[in-house]
Amino acid sequence: MQLSAQRLCLLLALLSVSASARAQLGVEAASTVFHESGGPISMTVIVPEVNAEVDVAEALSLRAGWSADVVSGASVAVVDAPAESVDAITTASVTDTRHVLGGGFALRDEQSTLSAGYRYGFENDYRSHGFDVSARTELFDRNTSFELAYARSFDSVCDGPGAEDPAQKGRLDSSDGCFDDDDPDRADHDLAVHGLQLSGTQTLSKLLVLQLGLSAQIQHGFLSNPYRAVRIGPTAAQEHHPENRARYAATIGLRYWIKPLSGALQPSVRLYRDTWHLRAASLELGYEQSLGTDFRVRVRGRLHMQTGAAFYSDDYVLAPRGQYFTGDRELSPLKTVLVGGELTYSVPPDDEGDVLGIFSAFSLKMKGDLLQTYLEEFHYDTVEPPNDLALIGTFAIVAEI
Amino acid sequence: MALRSSFSRSLLVAIALCTSSACATVRPQDKEHLAEPSMAFSSGGASTTHEQHVLDNREGASGGGTTRGGGCGCN
Repeated sequence: MQLSAQRLCLLLALLSVSASARAQLGVEAASTVFHESGGPISMTVIVPEVNAEVDVAEALSLRAGWSADVVSGASVAVVDAPAESVDAITTASVTDTRHVLGGGFALRDEQSTLSAGYRYGFENDYRSHGFDVSARTELFDRNTSFELAYARSFDSVCDGPGAEDPAQKGRLDSSDGCFDDDDPDRADHDLAVHGLQLSGTQTLSKLLVLQLGLSAQIQHGFLSNPYRAVRIGPTAAQEHHPENRARYAATIGLRYWIKPLSGALQPSVRLYRDTWHLRAASLELGYEQSLGTDFRVRVRGRLHMQTGAAFYSDDYVLAPRGQYFTGDRELSPLKTVLVGGELTYSVPPDDEGDVLGIFSAFSLKMKGDLLQTYLEEFHYDTVEPPNDLALIGTFAIVAEI
Repeated sequence: MALRSSFSRSLLVAIALCTSSACATVRPQDKEHLAEPSMAFSSGGASTTHEQHVLDNREGASGGGTTRGGGCGCN
């Protein structure tokens, strides 16, 4: 880990040197705090992130970044506890850190951009190598744009010893020994993910812009949570998900400038379906207002509604659903409501065009969201499901030199 | 079934909108309001990525595109 951090610092230093020699350097530093509560247990995740991008030539820019998830708290480990006591919901104490290091480049001309990147994510029980490529072009006096993106990841998930019958397989109890070839009680499974996304933006009038997006993703491999178990009889077995999942989504968004208010209305709709028979619709409405030349404030609301996966059951003893079983409440029918706001402050330049003496641009962003989850078919007997209320707060600094 | 038909209908409406005369070219000198930061669809940077990661792990139907990050959200 220390070695990785040193490599990142070296890369950022190289980018800085290149920037001072050639052209513009952009740096973004952000940190998000996610806190989830609403029951007998809670969870907190802190996500720091640093990204840098530098123009090393007129048509070429390089980027590098690092982010982490620092997780602490508890999560439900065994679903459908048979007793009424809160203590009967078996929980797992969780303390883990995930790091993601990445880099890439972009080639640009006046109308088009071609970019590619690589990232490596690792934590005690999960590893992921991924690359992505995208091409974007603007047409018709920049009134139309298209972007095609593809991402591929090669992941490894830690697990415990296997069993011939999934109903006899226990859950992973800890990440100790994960990815240690000499540990006979640990195995790892592959997960391959392909993602393809096509989006287009069209100017419809002097005040209105439309965006359409289509995406597809294919997942193949171990898609269960190794830590989660489900009671399917006298014992609890590790949840058992299908090994393939194809996911499709379509998004339509608008930006409409309201002249009398000097603000933009930002509605969007996303429709989703997948081969696990999960269907969903998400509606979002945002409004962003300029306050003078330096401040922007945005408020928004989002409603998400989904059906459950075909193999989801609230109680596999009374209502089995074939060969698969899950303890993932996110695969149950649910609704979420998100409300939030953000404030962006761009520091104004001085008479010579500099910001704070050395920057060409400098801005601060504060963002806060409240996410409430309504679970329609997920119960622990008479115990209320925990962790249905989440607070997400972000503070970000963006600077350009 | 209702979601399936609304999915198809929305796609058709969107395609019709974009192929209609409403897509008339707006001249560069008329793009004063379109150039406002509030009119951009581009990503809001790290804060948007973080929010998407949260939603990916809290809604079974979020994600599914080319979201970067890795990790199973096991916790």
